[in-house]
Amino acid sequence: MTAAARASRIKDAVTARPRLWLGIALGFPVAYYALMFAALVIRFQAWPNYAVTYDWFGNVAEIVRSTPSVSDMSAIIAQEWLFEVGRMNYDFGNGISEWSLNINPAKVLVVMVLAALIATITTLLLARRTQCSGARLNGAGAVGGLGAVLVGMTNVTLAWVVCCATPSWVVGLAILGLGVSSSLWLEQFGWWIEYAGFASLVLSLLWLSGPPKPAQAAKPSSYPQSAMGAPQ
Amino acid sequence: MLRHVTQGLALGALLAVTAAAPAQAKTIKVAIGHQSMCTDTYTAGIVVKELKLLEKHLPKTGKYKDVDYDISWADYSSGGPITNQMMANKLNIGVMGDYPLIVNGAKFQATDSLRTYYVAGTGYNLKGSGNAIVVPVKSDLYKIGDLEGKEVSTPVGSAAWGMLLKAAQDNKIKFQLKNQSPAVGAANIAAGKIDAHSDFCPWSEIMEFRGTGRKIYDGSEAGVPYLHGVVVRKDLADDYPEVVQAFIKAVYDAGKWIKEDPIRATDLMEKWTGVEKEVLYIYFSKGGHLSLDPTIKPKWTEALKFDHTVLVREKAIPPLDFGDWITEKYIRAAYKDMGVDYDKDKAMIVDPAVANAGLPNEIWHARDGIKEYATLPEFLGAIASFRATGAKINSTYVYDKETGLKLFGKTAFWVVTPKGEFATFLRRGEAEKYASTIDGKVITFEDAIGMKSS
Repeated sequence: MTAAARASRIKDAVTARPRLWLGIALGFPVAYYALMFAALVIRFQAWPNYAVTYDWFGNVAEIVRSTPSVSDMSAIIAQEWLFEVGRMNYDFGNGISEWSLNINPAKVLVVMVLAALIATITTLLLARRTQCSGARLNGAGAVGGLGAVLVGMTNVTLAWVVCCATPSWVVGLAILGLGVSSSLWLEQFGWWIEYAGFASLVLSLLWLSGPPKPAQAAKPSSYPQSAMGAPQ
Repeated sequence: MLRHVTQGLALGALLAVTAAAPAQAKTIKVAIGHQSMCTDTYTAGIVVKELKLLEKHLPKTGKYKDVDYDISWADYSSGGPITNQMMANKLNIGVMGDYPLIVNGAKFQATDSLRTYYVAGTGYNLKGSGNAIVVPVKSDLYKIGDLEGKEVSTPVGSAAWGMLLKAAQDNKIKFQLKNQSPAVGAANIAAGKIDAHSDFCPWSEIMEFRGTGRKIYDGSEAGVPYLHGVVVRKDLADDYPEVVQAFIKAVYDAGKWIKEDPIRATDLMEKWTGVEKEVLYIYFSKGGHLSLDPTIKPKWTEALKFDHTVLVREKAIPPLDFGDWITEKYIRAAYKDMGVDYDKDKAMIVDPAVANAGLPNEIWHARDGIKEYATLPEFLGAIASFRATGAKINSTYVYDKETGLKLFGKTAFWVVTPKGEFATFLRRGEAEKYASTIDGKVITFEDAIGMKSS
């Protein structure tokens, strides 16, 4: 089985349902951020009361100018925000942002890649439902779904202003109720979890784009051939 | 992988944009991240900003003759975001507490090309006071041991979090830790929704002053000094050392200005920060929690190293080379310029138990200001008299007999001796112990006043 053949199957599946693919690829990021926003509002039982737009291009230009190492530069740029919406608590002092949803372009890009992979897996699942066994379709779907959850989880950009803790993907878990100790313990594995997520998505694609097994294609019926009127 | 590819593409485009930027007259950017809701940072933050002390000291001669300064201030509720902004060079000076300072140094040292220097302190409390664990005022919890199995919240990553972890280790207790921002923690204490909340200055005192919370554990019990300081990006310090020195001179001036007239200072700081002046007074007055001193003492380095080990255990933060990070170069130069003896100041450490012995108790009269009383009976008698005339009292201050720490009169534990003398304590346990040794009894503030109103 060549990579070209797999790619061809994937391409055929996508081109067969271009609107569906585009709908998922564009709709997923929107739904993803809408879900995060809804999670905040539901969790804290309050609407946001402030929004800030950041000069992302200007800030990135400044980082490029002032950071000698390219590897440092990229890591810092990846932390830059474009937009923030959240709730400010004015009970004390000049106000403190209690929670917020941040739009970080680097993260948005990753979510868009995730969305494209989900769209591709979905179209492949539909295209190959008559060619693959149920076990393969269900298995690939589950592996792809798990990958999507892992990547989605590690790209959460919620902040819960916790004094000296910086915003991180585990803040999302903490907000959603996971214990602080468990969240902090998980933080160190963020990259690995994200890589595992993408690996699962790619595995799902490979599994779905492979050829149907001959044994499955010619799977004998559990009924006696004679009973079905087949020639003896 | 994917992330690096996308970052690379973005960088390429932006390098082209920045390369095309036109040349301009020389402007030095001084962008400071400070915390208006953290009292210990005020001498390098809000006071310097509002009094324009940095502008006063910035160099204007020699190589700085034709320089324009672009000074900006950004207010944060915590140190973590300040570090992030410093990494992006949106800020090049940051003011924060001990644990966030360590995170700052370690995060920068984890990069290939960026570094910060710890160049000066702002203030400290030798005993570690400033952080505290507070319970709802009506709670039946009175000591840290009572927190076994309870729900305790804290801003994770803060100095108060570090203190909480150490307190739990020292007292061998386990509780359910919840991550909570200061404002939310304070609100939950007020509503009685959490068993206890651990926070940094001045949150515990805000809760006490507002009558919603009561301290059951003070940072002084952890036995590790609590300090705040200033970190500066290496590129600013290397290119413009005189600017860093100017900032340190401004920090020194801010401390001097506060010490000259704490009432004036707290009155203005209330307007600038929104924190009640009566709360600020417990930090910035004579005998207050905070010793304003920018010098870098060996004891501070030891405390920071200890704090780093706590963070390494709990958060797996990167290593930190303290020798590369902490430098006295700039502060020594600043002190020399000002004609102040750095080594003398560095050698001086204020221990509240010694320094506050014999200080008068105080009543903040709403109309007449601070009034001092040498003894507790006089102090109580004055309160009773004021109340009898309907005079408004803003706040009252006494000292903990054990540690010398300044306390609100209303939150102290009072002991009356058989001879009718009084003593005040931060913690009930120590008050009870003292009472048992002198055959006295523990009473409330109101009871004590009642004994003097006749």
